[in-house]
Amino acid sequence: MNGVVEGGWGYVIAAYALSWGTWVAYLLLLKVRSRS
Amino acid sequence: MKWEAIAGGLGFAVVGVAHAFGLFVAPSEAAMGETGRMLYLHVPTAWAGMGSFLVAFVGAIGVLWTGGKRWDALVESAVEVGIVMSVLLTVQGSLWARPTWGTWWTWDPRLTTTAVMVVAFAGVLVLRHLVHRPERRAMASAVATIASFADVPVVYLSVKWWRSLHQPISNAGTVDTLMLVPFLVACFGMLFVCAALIGSRWRLAMSRLEREDRASDLPDRPVPLSLEGRP
Repeated sequence: MNGVVEGGWGYVIAAYALSWGTWVAYLLLLKVRSRS
Repeated sequence: MKWEAIAGGLGFAVVGVAHAFGLFVAPSEAAMGETGRMLYLHVPTAWAGMGSFLVAFVGAIGVLWTGGKRWDALVESAVEVGIVMSVLLTVQGSLWARPTWGTWWTWDPRLTTTAVMVVAFAGVLVLRHLVHRPERRAMASAVATIASFADVPVVYLSVKWWRSLHQPISNAGTVDTLMLVPFLVACFGMLFVCAALIGSRWRLAMSRLEREDRASDLPDRPVPLSLEGRP
């Protein structure tokens, strides 16, 4: 182990997917609100 | 094409390249392993959140100084974007904390002051919904924004001031170039993303405030129909 955190790819992918998903969703929301 | 579309497109492209590099090319962090790859996401998001709150603070000063609705729209838009970024920051931090600290959340000084910051700025948006008179709303939310902003430097310095589980402020000199470059590029790209989001949201806020201005020309209550002059 040598004190290094093992694994963790799942958490990393989840964080990136959630963040990019939120940014795109917020962008789309702003676009929809600007049209209404 | 509006400047926000260009800045947003450019910003997302730059951040995307930096993230791809950080995920697939940069080496894993010496102690944190693969979870250290959150660095390229988490820190730029934190800067974006705090940067947005700084813009809101400047807007609030502008409101108190001039009373102009352009500044008021800037407060509304920057606070909203700051909250989106800061909530994301908290979720990212939680996803990082679970494999490294063994917990999703702990009342560490950095985490606690960040939570206070998010709640305080969310209060600004709630206040804007509760106060209907435009001038009073602008003044009240400007004062609340300035008061909320007092916590932002505390968030930044919390890891210096108190014993914290959270990482201290990093020294760029100790970071490998292959890690430093995508990190700095992601931070640079997020500046454009943030500017684009605040700009787009500012347009929305301005159009709503202008509609409100036009509506304020109407009488406070419907004027009763007069029957005078009828045969």
